[in-house]
Amino acid sequence: MLGLGVDRLQADINRLLASLFHQGVLDEQFLQLQQLQDETSPNFVYDVINIYFDESEKLLRNLRLLLMDREFSDYKKIGLHLNQLVGSSSSIGARRVRNVCVALRSASELSNRPGCLRGLEVVEHEYHYLKNMMHELFQLEQQRLLAAGVRYPM
Amino acid sequence: MNIENIPDSPMVSRKIRKVFDKMTQWVTPWRSNLESPREMMILRGDVEQDEFQYASSHCLSSYYSVFVVRLAIMVMLAILIGLLTVLTWHFTRIYTKQSLKTLAYGLRYELLQRPVLRMWSVLNTTSELTTAQVKLSEYVIKKYDKPTTQEELVEMYQAMKDVTWALFASAKALNAITINYRNGFVQAFHRDPASSSTFYIFSDLKNYSISGIGPEDVSGWNNQSIHGNMTAIWYQQQLDPVTGEKLGKPLKIPPDDLINIAGILQVPDGEASWHVTVSKYMDSPLLSAALPVFDASNKSIVDVVGVTTALYSVGQLMRDLVDVHGGHIYLTSQEGYLLATSTNGPLLKNTTNGPKLMKAIDSEEWVIRAGAQWLEKTYGSKRPQEVHAENVKLGNQRYYIDSFYLNLKRLPIIGVVIIPRKFIMGKVDERAFKTLIILISASVCIFFIGCVCILILTNGVSKEMKLRAELIRQLDARRRAEASSNYKSQFLANMSHELRTPMAAVIGLLDILISDDCLSNEQYATVTQIRKCSTALLRLLNNILDLSKVESGKLVLEEAEFDLGRELEGLVDMFSVQCINHNVETVLDLSDDMPALVRGDSARLVQIFANLISNSIKFTTTGHIILRGWCENINSLHDEMRLTVDRKKPWAPMKTKLVQHRNHLQKSCKNANKMVLWFEVDDTGCGIESSKWDSVFESFEQADPSTTRTHGGTGLGLCIVRNLVNKMGGEIKVVQKNGLGTLMRLYLILSTPETADQNIQPDFSKYGLVVLLSMYGSTARMITSKWLRKHGIATVEASDWNELTQIIRDLLEMGSRDNSFDSQNNIADSLRAELSNIEEIKNPVFVVVVDIGVLDLTTDIWKEQLNYLDRFSNKAKFAWLLKHDTSNIVKTELRRKGHVMMVNKPLYKAKMIQILEAVIKNRKRCNGLRNRGNGSDESHDFLEIDPTQFDTCSSDDSSETSGEKHIDKSVQPSTLHSPVLKNYLIDANNSNDDSTSASTTQKNLEEEDWKDRLYSGIALDGKNQKSLEGIRILLAEDTPVLQRVATIMLEKMGATVTAVWDGQQAVDSLNYRSINVQDPTGEPTSSEEETANNSINPQSSLRNSSPYDLILMDCQMPKMDGYDATKAIRRAEIGTELHIPIVALTAHAMSSDEAKCLEVGMDAYLTKPIDRKLMVSTILSLTKPSIFQTSLSA
Repeated sequence: MLGLGVDRLQADINRLLASLFHQGVLDEQFLQLQQLQDETSPNFVYDVINIYFDESEKLLRNLRLLLMDREFSDYKKIGLHLNQLVGSSSSIGARRVRNVCVALRSASELSNRPGCLRGLEVVEHEYHYLKNMMHELFQLEQQRLLAAGVRYPM
Repeated sequence: MNIENIPDSPMVSRKIRKVFDKMTQWVTPWRSNLESPREMMILRGDVEQDEFQYASSHCLSSYYSVFVVRLAIMVMLAILIGLLTVLTWHFTRIYTKQSLKTLAYGLRYELLQRPVLRMWSVLNTTSELTTAQVKLSEYVIKKYDKPTTQEELVEMYQAMKDVTWALFASAKALNAITINYRNGFVQAFHRDPASSSTFYIFSDLKNYSISGIGPEDVSGWNNQSIHGNMTAIWYQQQLDPVTGEKLGKPLKIPPDDLINIAGILQVPDGEASWHVTVSKYMDSPLLSAALPVFDASNKSIVDVVGVTTALYSVGQLMRDLVDVHGGHIYLTSQEGYLLATSTNGPLLKNTTNGPKLMKAIDSEEWVIRAGAQWLEKTYGSKRPQEVHAENVKLGNQRYYIDSFYLNLKRLPIIGVVIIPRKFIMGKVDERAFKTLIILISASVCIFFIGCVCILILTNGVSKEMKLRAELIRQLDARRRAEASSNYKSQFLANMSHELRTPMAAVIGLLDILISDDCLSNEQYATVTQIRKCSTALLRLLNNILDLSKVESGKLVLEEAEFDLGRELEGLVDMFSVQCINHNVETVLDLSDDMPALVRGDSARLVQIFANLISNSIKFTTTGHIILRGWCENINSLHDEMRLTVDRKKPWAPMKTKLVQHRNHLQKSCKNANKMVLWFEVDDTGCGIESSKWDSVFESFEQADPSTTRTHGGTGLGLCIVRNLVNKMGGEIKVVQKNGLGTLMRLYLILSTPETADQNIQPDFSKYGLVVLLSMYGSTARMITSKWLRKHGIATVEASDWNELTQIIRDLLEMGSRDNSFDSQNNIADSLRAELSNIEEIKNPVFVVVVDIGVLDLTTDIWKEQLNYLDRFSNKAKFAWLLKHDTSNIVKTELRRKGHVMMVNKPLYKAKMIQILEAVIKNRKRCNGLRNRGNGSDESHDFLEIDPTQFDTCSSDDSSETSGEKHIDKSVQPSTLHSPVLKNYLIDANNSNDDSTSASTTQKNLEEEDWKDRLYSGIALDGKNQKSLEGIRILLAEDTPVLQRVATIMLEKMGATVTAVWDGQQAVDSLNYRSINVQDPTGEPTSSEEETANNSINPQSSLRNSSPYDLILMDCQMPKMDGYDATKAIRRAEIGTELHIPIVALTAHAMSSDEAKCLEVGMDAYLTKPIDRKLMVSTILSLTKPSIFQTSLSA
C-alpha cells in the first residue's frame, strides 16, 4: 500500500546513483555502506557521510592553509592530511575524490608546490561535486522516506 | 458507351477513363475511410483521434458530395448520350447525304444530258439533212447547168422537188425543207404536226425569169423580196405523207401563211447558219438551218436550202424524263429564250406580230419562271458555265437548280434542271428528321432512365453511406467515450498520484508534528484531526488509483510466499479494535486444512479482506463479523461440485466456471500446486437487497444511496475487491444468508509452495486438556469450542461470570462436586454431559480462558473476582483475553497474580494453539522440575534462564536449538515454519522487572518460556550474518568516518567493537583491561555477550587475559600511530604467552606499507576501503585458531 511516489523517488535515487557510479564519483564501497544500514542504524549512511563531510571540510581547510603559507615546507603534514582524506574517501566509496587525493599526495611527496596547489583545486572541486550529489541523494532519500512512511489504515 | 468511342478516339477514352477514375475516387472517399477503421483500431492515441475527426468531417461533407456526384454523373450521362446522338445522326446523315448528293448530281446531269443530246442529235440531223440537201441540190444544179430554157428550168425544179421529197420523206423529224432559188422561186415541203399532213408549197413559176437574176446580184436577195413580192402566187399542195402523191388540188395561199423560207439573208457569208424561229402553225420554236448552194463553179449562190426541225421532240423527251423523275427541265438560248421545257406550257407568246419566242423569266410555268428569276437574280448577266445550286427556295419548296451550258456553234444552249428537293432528298430528309427525332427522343429517354438509375443507385449508395457514416459516427463516439473514460481513469490515476505525493508529505509532516512534544492539547487534537482527514483522503486516492490500475490492467500481482493465516489474523486483530468499539465481534474461522504458506500477493489479498471487513463493519452495529476460510484442492473440485450444487444452488454457475477455470489451470500449470481457497465474510449488518447483489460490485455503487450519508464511503471498495479477486482467478458473490446481514463468498486460486505437507496440526488430545471458555461473544466462543472439540479437547463454555464460577467450582472443586451438581440445577444437560465426560479424563489439565470482559471492570469488583479465581490458579491455568484498551492496572494486577498468559482479543485458532502449547510445555516443565530433584540432567533449561540474555537482541543459537529440542515434535506449532515467529502474547517484559516475591519459581519459568518464544524468532533471523559472533574487537581509528563504518560493519556481523581514537588509547585500553582482567564485571564497555560467555565458561575467564580477540589498527593516527602502538603492545606482551592479533588498516596500498606493518608485529594487513569479506576472513583466520587454541589449552 505504498504510494507510487516511493517507487518514483526510488527510481530517481537509483538513477542518480547509477549516474554517479557511471561517472566514477562513487564505487561499490558506497553500496557496502548502504548495505550496512538497517533498522538498528537507520541513518547510518547519512551519518557517515555527514561525518565525512565535516571532517573533509576541516582537512581541506587545513590543506589550503598549509599550502597558502608562503614559507611552507611541511609536506609530511600534508601527506598525513591527505592520507586521512584518502582513507575516509575510499571508505565511503568516493572514488574520484580519492583518486585526485592520491594524485595530490604524489605531488606532495615530490614537494611540488604548484602541483599541490593544482591538485588541491581539483580535490576541492571533486569534493564539492560529491557533496552536491550527496545532498541531492539525501534529499531524495528523505523524500522517499517521507513517502514510504505514509501508510494508511485499511 | 465507351465501346463505340474507344476505337475512334483512344485519347478521349483515356481521358474519360481518367475522369472516371477521379470520379470514383471522389465519389467513394468514405469507402476508403471505411476500410481503414479496422486498421485504425489497432492504432492508438492521438493519430486515431485525428483520423476520426478527419473521417467525421468527411462524413459531413459527403452529403454534399453525393449531390454533386449525382449531378456530375447525370451531366456526364447527358453529355455522352448527346454526343452519341449527334454523332450517330451526323454520320448517318452526312454519309447518306453525300452519296445521295453525288447520285442526285449524276441524275440531274443525266437528266439534262438526255435532252441536250437529243437537241444535239436534232441539230445534227438537221445539219446532215441540210448538207445532204445542199449536196443533192448542187448535183442537180450541176446537171442542169445554166438552164436556159423554161423547160430545163422546170425540169430542174422537178428534179429538185423529187430529190428534196426523197430527203424529206426519209427524215420524218423534219418540219420543213425549203429551197429558195435565186430567181425567187421557192420549193418547200412542210409537215403540219397538228393535222399530220404534208404539204408541198411552191411559188408560181411563171413569175420568175431565169435571166433576171444574176449570180452576182446577191443583194437583190432579201426576205422582202419574198414577202414583199406579193405578186407571187403561192400554192399549197397536200401530199400523201408516205408516197408523196398529190392529194387534191394545190391551194393558193397567202404568203403570210408561208412557213419560214430560208433566204439569202440567212446565209450572208455563204456559211451554214442556225437560228430559232417560230411559226404560226407550230406552238413550239423551230430550229432552222440554212445553207447556200453554189453553182458548179462555186462562185455564186444558186439557191439557199433551209431545213427546219421542230424542237418539239426535245420537249417531248423532256416531258418523258420529267414524268419519270419529276421536276422541270428547260432549255434556253443564250439570250434566255425558251427553246424547250418539260412542261406543256406554251413556249411562244402571241404578240400582234405573231408568235414570238418567250423568255424563261416570262414563262407561264411558275417553277420555270421562278427558277429563271432566281438564276437571274443570283448570277445576273455573268452566269457561269455550270451552276449547281441546292436548297433553292422557290415558293414554299426547295429545289435543286442545275444549269449547263451547251456551246453549239451559233446556237449556244443553256439547260436548266429544276428538281424539287424532296424528289431526291425528300425521303432522306424525312428519314434524317425521323432519325433525329427518334434519336433525340431515345437519348432523352435514356437520359431520364439513366438519371433515374443514378438516383436509385446513388440513393442506395447514399443510404449505405449514411448508414456507414452513422456507424463511423457511433464508432467514433464509442471510441471517444472509451478514450474519455480511459483519459478519465488515466487522469484519476495521474491525479491521485500527483495528489498523493503532497499528501504523503502532509501526512509525514503531520506525523512529525504529532510526535512533537510542545503542542498544546488543542493543537494536538487539531493536528490529529488533520491527520485523520489526510489519511481518509489518501485512502480515497489510493482506492481510485487501485481501481484504475486494476481496470487498466496495469496491476501486476506479485508472486511471493506468505503466511496466509498470519495475514488474516493480523487483519482480524486490526479490525477487532474497531469492532470492539462497535460492539461487534470479529471472528476468524479458518479451517485446519488451510495451507499455511501460499504464493500470491499478500498485500492485495489483505486489501481484499480489509475492504470486505471494513465494509461489513461499516454496516454492522451489533452482532458479529466472521471471516471463514476453507480450502479445497483444485483437483478434488469435481467431486465437491455435486455436493455443493445440491447444497448451494446459487453457487452452481460459479462452480462450473471454476471447473472450467480449473481445467484451464491444469493445462497451463500442471506442476503448480494450486489450491482453491474459499472465504466467506459473514456479518449481521443491514444486509443487501438481492436485486443489488450484482450491482454492489460496480464502481461508485452502493446498495443504498443513502448510506453515503450515514456511513460515508465512495463505493469503490467492493469494486476493487471484485477486480482483485478476478485478477487472482477467483470470483466473489453475495450469497443468500439465513437471517440478518450479508454473506459474501469468494474463492481465490492460489498456488502453494512445493514443500512438504504444511498442515502439521498439533495433537492436543493426548494431554488430557480441559478448556473452559468464558467469553462474551457467543459466536467466537462457539467456533473456538467447536474447533477444540474437534481436536479432542474437552471444552466447557461459559458466557458470563456466574456461569464461569459455577463451572469452575464444578470442575475444580472435586470434593464438593456432588453437592454442587445437585444445587446447580440450571446447568444445561449438554453441559452436564460434558462435565461427566471430563470427569473421566485422567489427570486433566484445566485451561481457563477468561475474557477480561467477563469481569466487572466498571467497579472494583473485578479485583475480588480475580482473587476468587486465584484460588484455582494452582489447579488450572488461566489465560486472559484482553481488549486492546484494557487498562494497565488490570494488566499489572493480573501479572502480579501470576497470570502471564494474556492475549489480545479476538481469540482465534493460532492464539488458542499458543495458549495450549504454553500450557503443555509448562506442564512438562513442571514434570522436569520434579524430575530434576531426582537428579535428571536437564540443566540446559536453567542455563537459558539467565536474565541478561534477553536484554540483547542476539541470543545464542545453540542454546535456542537445545531448548527447542525438548519440545515434543508433535507439539511443535505450525507457525514455526515461518522464518520469523510471531508472538500473539502481550509483551510483559518491561513491567515485569519489579515482579514481587510472590512470583514463584514456576511462574518465573513460565514467564521465561514466553520470552523464550518471544525472542527465538530474532535469533533465527540473524543466524546467517553473524559470522563474527562473539569476537571482541578493538578498533583504533582516528578517522570518524572509518571508525563509524567499521564499527557498524563489525557489529552487523556480530562482533563486539570498542573504538578508540588513537594508538595511545588503544594501548591504554589494552593495558587497562589486562590489569582488570580478573574482574570482568567491572568493565563498563564489556558486552553482555562477553559476560554470557564468561558465565557459560566461568573457568575460561582466566585464559582470557586479553579483553579483545583482535585489534584493528589504523596505521596513521595522531599522537601515536599504528606502528608505534603495535610495537608498544607487542612489547607489553613480551613475557606472556598472549598474542593479540593486530590487523593493520591503511589507506596506503603499497607493498612497502605491508612489509612495514608486518615488520612491527602486525598479523595482517587490510587496505581501506575495508572489504567486508576480506575483513571477515582475515579476522576469522586470526581469531578462530586462537580461540580454538585457548579452549584447547583450557
